[in-house]
Amino acid sequence: MVVLAASIISKSGKALVSRQFVDMSRIRIEGLLAAFPKLVGTGKQHTYVETENVRYVYQPIEGLYLLLITNKQSNILEDLDTLRLLSKLVPEYSPSLDEEGVCKTAFELIFAFDEAISLGNKENVTVQQVKQYCEMESHEEKAHKLMMQSKINETRDVMKKKASELDKMRMERGKLDKGGYSSISGPRVIEKTFNDMSITGSGFGSGSGLGGLGMDMDSFASKPKGGRPSAAATAPGKGLGMKLGKTQKTNQFLESLKAEGEVILEDVQPSSVQSRASPLPPSDPVTVTIEEKLNVTVKRDGGVNNFDVQGTLALQVLNDADGFIQLQIENQDVPGLSFKTHPNINKDLFNSQQVVGAKDPNRPFPSGQNETPLVKWRIQGMDESSLPLSVNCWPSVSGSETYVNIEYEAAEMFDLHNVVISIPLPALREAPSVRQIDGEWKYDSRNSVLEWSILLIDQSNRSGSMEFVVPPADPSTFFPISIGFSASSTFSDLKVTGIRPLKDGNPPKYSQRARLVAANYQVV
Amino acid sequence: MEKPSTLLVHFDKGSAAMAGEIKADLEGSDVAAKVDAMKRAVMLLLNGETLPTLFITVVRYVLPSEDHTIQKLLLLYLEIIDKRDAAGRGLPEMILICQNLRNNLHHPNEYIRGVTLRFLCRLSEPEVLEPLVPSILENLDHRHHFIRRHALSAISSIYRLPHGDQLVPDAPELVERALASEQDASARRNAFLMLCTCAQERAVAYLLSNADRVAEWPDLLQMAAVDLIRKVCRSPNRADKGRYIKIIIALLSSPSTAVVYECAGALVSLSSAPTAVRAAANTYCELLSSQSDNNVKLIVLDRLNELRTSHRDVMVDVVMDVLRALASPNLDVKRKVLDLVLDLLTARNVEEVVLYLKKEVVKTQAGELEKSGEYRQMLVQAIHACAVEYPEVAGSVVHLLMDFLGDTNVAAAVDVVLFVREIIETNPKLRVSMIQRLIDTFYQIRASRVCSCALWILGEYSLSLSEVENAISTIKQCLGDVPFYTVSEEGEATDSAKPAQPVVNSVTVSSRRPVVLADGTYATQSAATEAISTPSVAPGSLSSTLNLRSLILSGDFFLAAVISCTLTKLVLRLEEVQPSMVEVNKACTGALLVMTSILQLGQSSYLPHPIDNDSYDRIVLCVRLLCNTGDDVRKVWLQSCRQSFAKMLAEKQFRETEEMKAKAQISHAQPDDLIDFYHLKSRRGMSQLELEDEVQDDLKAATGGFTKDAYDANRLNRILQLTGFSDPVYAEAYVTVHHYDIVLDVTIINRTKETLQNLCLELATMGDLKLVDRPQNYTLAPESSKQIRANIKVSSTETGVIFGNIVYETSNVMERSVVVLNDIHIDIMDYISPATCADVTFRNMWAEFEWENKVAVNTVIQNEKEFLDHIIKSTNMKCLTPPSALDGECGFLAANLYAKSVFGEDALVNISIEKQFDGKLSGYIRIRSKTQGIALSLGDKITLKQKGGS
Repeated sequence: MVVLAASIISKSGKALVSRQFVDMSRIRIEGLLAAFPKLVGTGKQHTYVETENVRYVYQPIEGLYLLLITNKQSNILEDLDTLRLLSKLVPEYSPSLDEEGVCKTAFELIFAFDEAISLGNKENVTVQQVKQYCEMESHEEKAHKLMMQSKINETRDVMKKKASELDKMRMERGKLDKGGYSSISGPRVIEKTFNDMSITGSGFGSGSGLGGLGMDMDSFASKPKGGRPSAAATAPGKGLGMKLGKTQKTNQFLESLKAEGEVILEDVQPSSVQSRASPLPPSDPVTVTIEEKLNVTVKRDGGVNNFDVQGTLALQVLNDADGFIQLQIENQDVPGLSFKTHPNINKDLFNSQQVVGAKDPNRPFPSGQNETPLVKWRIQGMDESSLPLSVNCWPSVSGSETYVNIEYEAAEMFDLHNVVISIPLPALREAPSVRQIDGEWKYDSRNSVLEWSILLIDQSNRSGSMEFVVPPADPSTFFPISIGFSASSTFSDLKVTGIRPLKDGNPPKYSQRARLVAANYQVV
Repeated sequence: MEKPSTLLVHFDKGSAAMAGEIKADLEGSDVAAKVDAMKRAVMLLLNGETLPTLFITVVRYVLPSEDHTIQKLLLLYLEIIDKRDAAGRGLPEMILICQNLRNNLHHPNEYIRGVTLRFLCRLSEPEVLEPLVPSILENLDHRHHFIRRHALSAISSIYRLPHGDQLVPDAPELVERALASEQDASARRNAFLMLCTCAQERAVAYLLSNADRVAEWPDLLQMAAVDLIRKVCRSPNRADKGRYIKIIIALLSSPSTAVVYECAGALVSLSSAPTAVRAAANTYCELLSSQSDNNVKLIVLDRLNELRTSHRDVMVDVVMDVLRALASPNLDVKRKVLDLVLDLLTARNVEEVVLYLKKEVVKTQAGELEKSGEYRQMLVQAIHACAVEYPEVAGSVVHLLMDFLGDTNVAAAVDVVLFVREIIETNPKLRVSMIQRLIDTFYQIRASRVCSCALWILGEYSLSLSEVENAISTIKQCLGDVPFYTVSEEGEATDSAKPAQPVVNSVTVSSRRPVVLADGTYATQSAATEAISTPSVAPGSLSSTLNLRSLILSGDFFLAAVISCTLTKLVLRLEEVQPSMVEVNKACTGALLVMTSILQLGQSSYLPHPIDNDSYDRIVLCVRLLCNTGDDVRKVWLQSCRQSFAKMLAEKQFRETEEMKAKAQISHAQPDDLIDFYHLKSRRGMSQLELEDEVQDDLKAATGGFTKDAYDANRLNRILQLTGFSDPVYAEAYVTVHHYDIVLDVTIINRTKETLQNLCLELATMGDLKLVDRPQNYTLAPESSKQIRANIKVSSTETGVIFGNIVYETSNVMERSVVVLNDIHIDIMDYISPATCADVTFRNMWAEFEWENKVAVNTVIQNEKEFLDHIIKSTNMKCLTPPSALDGECGFLAANLYAKSVFGEDALVNISIEKQFDGKLSGYIRIRSKTQGIALSLGDKITLKQKGGS
């Protein structure tokens, strides 16, 4: 049962590559290999040679011999299996099967041999597995790296947030202390990287939060300025004592992070402050929200039961003054796409020029915090190929266990965020054992649901898989699988390309958000 | 024990100068270049360079690399570098790599962890391993099976190190726990193997507690279990053997054939009860029929053969199952099956076996399989052997076999006719029917050798009047009308004969090859024997019945002589049984006419070769005899021939029984052999002699662990003085010759009062020798000595020469001094050993081998026999010619010698000597081999030694 060595030698006895699995002296192995070509008879229909002490099991590969040296008690059936495996591996790793080619890939071959034979004992592996072992692609490592990266980012974010809060607090304290606008000198001293504009802006913003400067508010809003940092504008002023405490805590946290060797950037850059605008409530005077909701029911054996997309274009206008506008939109031509407009919208204008405007030009769009849906659309009759994400689930019962293999495949057109695939499980006493996973998993024992979550599916991981094992169960218990995700682009790709004011003056600043949400996405 | 080698990579462009380049690449940041540099570094190291400065570069620049390939190459690099200094202590810088290994053991990438653990299996330095043990143990519970597998084997190999039990004192408990909860087959196997070697009682406990489930285990684990059982049950008289046997029986139904095979082996070693052996034999037979791979079949047959030697009575029962393997198309398999079966014959099963063989023979006739001729020959030989041992079966097969006398496969036909010859002598009851049959089928015989033998049988065993008459008429019929050739035809016949010429010519072209006959005589082969191999119908034959005529017309006068003798014999016999003298005289004249016609043909110019003298003399003798018969001559012809044949058969049988007896007498243990007491063996620290059991023995032998050269007087004979006593450096060497290598143990003594620096033993070789290591430099104190060991690889049997010199520097002389060493000659005799082969194979090899070395005999020895013994002794060969053939004083001796080299090369020698009138011996010794080396070296050796006298 012991393979002494696996070697490749040329027909003349030159040892090209040899990997020994038990201790033997160099002169011994070289001698054994050199003696081999003389022992091989020609015209024999069997491929083993026995000498006094060893057995050679070999296979000619073009001009070379692939050769296992075993002891004589070795199990020939196993050895032949091993040899067969190796003979499949050799061409995988050495594309040209001559002396030169084998020498060139000698180390790759040795690595592969190592996977197929462990310390002289046969391993039950397939070519695929050996390849996988040799590639050393590890999800754990990726996850580890990702985790490290996200940890770094997280701490960086926290740090920035705290830093800006700190600034603001100091500024407010200055205001309270000295009153009025004179306080600007305060932050300027502390935070030199802030530009004047933003400082004044934050001054106004915090003012509105205090509620004492309503008059100024109007004029300010009607004269929008580019690059206004919204963070400062909306952060409400709060009690001072609390803040102080918090900052201290942050500092402690930062200190301890630093002590642990994290790289912490001390200075807060304004650009990163601006970049944080998106998750916060809209601060532009005009905001357009484009949202598509997916209703999909896919059959587990393929085929789509139901696949429709419902889209909405909604408008939010903060001030009445900005309500006198028209929106120029643009969309991709998708078959099955049909629009429906709000009764107050000028249909002719919409159909002919794709402009959304009110029927009555003197009536502004309603203003306030509410979103007003203006246009709705539906896309129907799309086929399976346009599914943004397809999930395949293969439960298979083997012995006293059920192996469930799940894989997803995402379409090229969307980058999906926060993907959660929930698989119902039979009632279990303990969590299923997950053998292999791309991403994270969580087991909700109360609802008996295994949640497989992937933060982001983009170009790097268009497909992925998970395998877990549970006690034997009926395959149908793993359905319906429901899937949730969001994406930042839509099917219709509807966009607002511009705003035309109906009255004289500059068009108000506007922002738009588009997203695709899986409202009900199931595999049944 | 030398440092073990773990990998070899062919690399011929290496030089120490590359080290700088490698270093630069390693220090760079280009990953691809780094990988390449690591590869080159490993290959240089394998080539014997030491690269001592590279280590620090590797530690600084390669260790921190994130790339997986680099990490794996790094492990290979660490595997092959010297981790100990000259005194065997671990190098202190190895601690540097510890941290890196530890990091790798905690690496998030499971494969990095796995390969690192695997590397640790090959590591034997406790200093390095000790700090890593906690990390290794942590990996036991990792959720990835790849890591657990290797962690288990790492623990196993650490625990097995000397003092390994101190490194991981609780390893068996840990592994046992891991085994209980493990799911992965490979990891379970590793854990179980660890317990088997390190804590056998735990392994046994686990096995017994799972006895019911063993059949469901994965095959890897089952194999390990079988192995354990075999080990445990080695101690005899274990009371609980039954439990193990039960497990084995359960495993016999495993779906994995490898496990089944292993079980059968274990079963036999476990018990010698007939039931167990029978079960094993049946299992092997099943494998034999179910496996299609020839390798498997052959090895299973080997196993069955082993069973036969130990449990013949059981094997006799499965003989028919074994026979079924004849269905395999492979000739090697068939041959082995037949050999095995022939050894298992008993009076009870012989009928059945022969019946089966007969069916097989018939099958070869029907299907035109490839090589069916050769197979038929094997079958005929097998039946022959059966019939010799159990004559009663001969009758049922001989008639069937006689159909094959006309077989186109000459060898098979010859075998048949030899068989017939033997049976007709030993089985007088069958004689009448066989003669009748032979006469009926005679015209079908095409081959000359078969013809001559058949003619001899006709001549010898045709006894009754009708038989004799029939025989004579058949021969005459086959000869056709006489004369073969008339002078008057000559003018016209030249034209018609012409087309025949090329045929005959083509035959004679290759006819001048000397062959060695079975008794060792060296004969010039006549054209005729080769003419048969092309069974073309010779010219002048009117129909296919005239086989004898066509053979004679193709120039086969030896056959013609045989025909003459046969006719003579038949006529002499006719005189005895035929009352009517008229008929006798008629037959006599007829025979004389045939003979004279043959002589006339032989002397005419019709054939390119005239009749040879020997045949001519014999035919003339027959003619004289028929003209002038006498009682003593009659007795010689009619009785002595037969008697000598009977004697030959008796002699053959006698030799066989002698051999059997000799075999049976080989003692199994010498009086002074070492006895192993198993119970007194300690678990650890086995010496070379106390090996565990045959499995380990086998492994040990395979890895070359046995160095069985004893320190006896022979060793001292091998001391070679390399330099003179007055040289500043004195050197002498022991030459130890192993199978594939030569070890020179050189003792070097500094005879001066100065320190010699950079002393180096440089060796060069001629012939098929290769130095393994590069020479190293030493510093030698005044009047001190040093032992240097040099390994030289040998790859074929050939006389080799090792040259060398010793180079050194002294403090006051700037240039290097050189002492040239005596040449060391490596003797071919160390590589060849006496061997035997069958006559036929010897002759086939003789005809096939290309290299011949002919040495004229030149000796002072006067006696032929003595000379032969001298040559045998000095060449270490075996005489194939039976001693009975060498008996007697006739002034002439011919013998064949044979030997085999350790590399599997054959060496053939033929000696033909004759005693001259002046009492001196003359003749030739011919050496033939496949390679030039053997022929030349052996020739030199013989030339050197043949003189004798000393």
